[in-house]
Amino acid sequence: MAELKLTHTFDAKNKRHFLNNRLTVLHCHHYATLFTQLSLDAKDIVDGTRILQESTEDVFYNVLTAYYKENGITDTSDRIDIAVQMFSAIGMGKMVVAASDTSGGEIAMPHAYVDEGWLKKWGKNKEPVNFIGAGYTAGMFAAVFDKPTRTYSVTETKSKVMGADESRFKVTG
Amino acid sequence: MAIDRNKVIEDMSKVSVGANKDGIIPAFNVLVNQWPAAFWNEFSKRMIEPVDDDIKEDVEGLLINAAHECGYHTGYGIITSKEWDAAVKPMVENVEDVLHGAFAVFTAWGWADAEIMELVPGEKMVVRSYNYYEADIAEAYPGKKAPRLSAHMIRGVCGAFMDLAYGGDYDSTGNSGLYTFRCKQTKGIECGDEYGEFIAVKSEEYEKL
Repeated sequence: MAELKLTHTFDAKNKRHFLNNRLTVLHCHHYATLFTQLSLDAKDIVDGTRILQESTEDVFYNVLTAYYKENGITDTSDRIDIAVQMFSAIGMGKMVVAASDTSGGEIAMPHAYVDEGWLKKWGKNKEPVNFIGAGYTAGMFAAVFDKPTRTYSVTETKSKVMGADESRFKVTG
Repeated sequence: MAIDRNKVIEDMSKVSVGANKDGIIPAFNVLVNQWPAAFWNEFSKRMIEPVDDDIKEDVEGLLINAAHECGYHTGYGIITSKEWDAAVKPMVENVEDVLHGAFAVFTAWGWADAEIMELVPGEKMVVRSYNYYEADIAEAYPGKKAPRLSAHMIRGVCGAFMDLAYGGDYDSTGNSGLYTFRCKQTKGIECGDEYGEFIAVKSEEYEKL
């Protein structure tokens, strides 16, 4: 199994954090869930949930693609291992890849940060809210299979925030 | 001032934020994430850019409110955490020290190198920042200059920290205590200024800014 290598540095002069030389910032479940709520609230003005999902897809596609390139990771299963470990290391929860090939697959999340933050903050919801998790999944599939972003469509089919024991995402290419 | 800002930043920037076996990072009484700054900037930028000019301010208001509410609850989580008790509380003598300490933690988290320049207790706070990730949004624009002031997170959090300091007892529901102060950004690195400047005042005084 490929092992994720993450190096954290803090630039004391500029007060900035980096993971593998990429600028990161610490935020919390309040901010992530409020951004998610904002994306829903703004629906009459702008397609906020699509923007949230696509922003996440693009950013993490870039993160994973850069990692694979810098570390010479070409094997599909190694790439998936790295993406799954990255997901957990940055606090997004725990991801299990139930199925995957170039046409799509299925992801389970026994622990989903957005859902657990939402439950902690507001309790259950009638609809899925993990657009960030869906975006990460779309970016991950694109990066793993050397496809451009927007190749994969990701739908949350089961949701912890709705009371399920785990979240699940269907990926179609 | 009793707070040794540099020591707080040094100590708090080293606080471990390793995820547990479930991929969750519980710290400071909240669930922490350490995502690329580009994620937060991209979402904000893409929410504002496509809407008509006369609606941009409304969308910015939503982003500021998200940060304000986050800053209120997370700020409270920080100043009541075991990490705060260990690194900051021994230096705290009064509510103004709590504010200075909170901005040191704010800086240590990588939100901004932000410091209080003027504080009128219970009335007004002026914060200045010479380095903040929200200014990086300028890199996407011609001449690396953003068309609008864009530090919505700092604005929201400045208002929230004043709420915590002078807005009465913390209310986990947010029904009281929240939005007793509001903050305006008056300068921004993203727009070509040397630094970002943020002025928080009582909500009823905000429109006079």
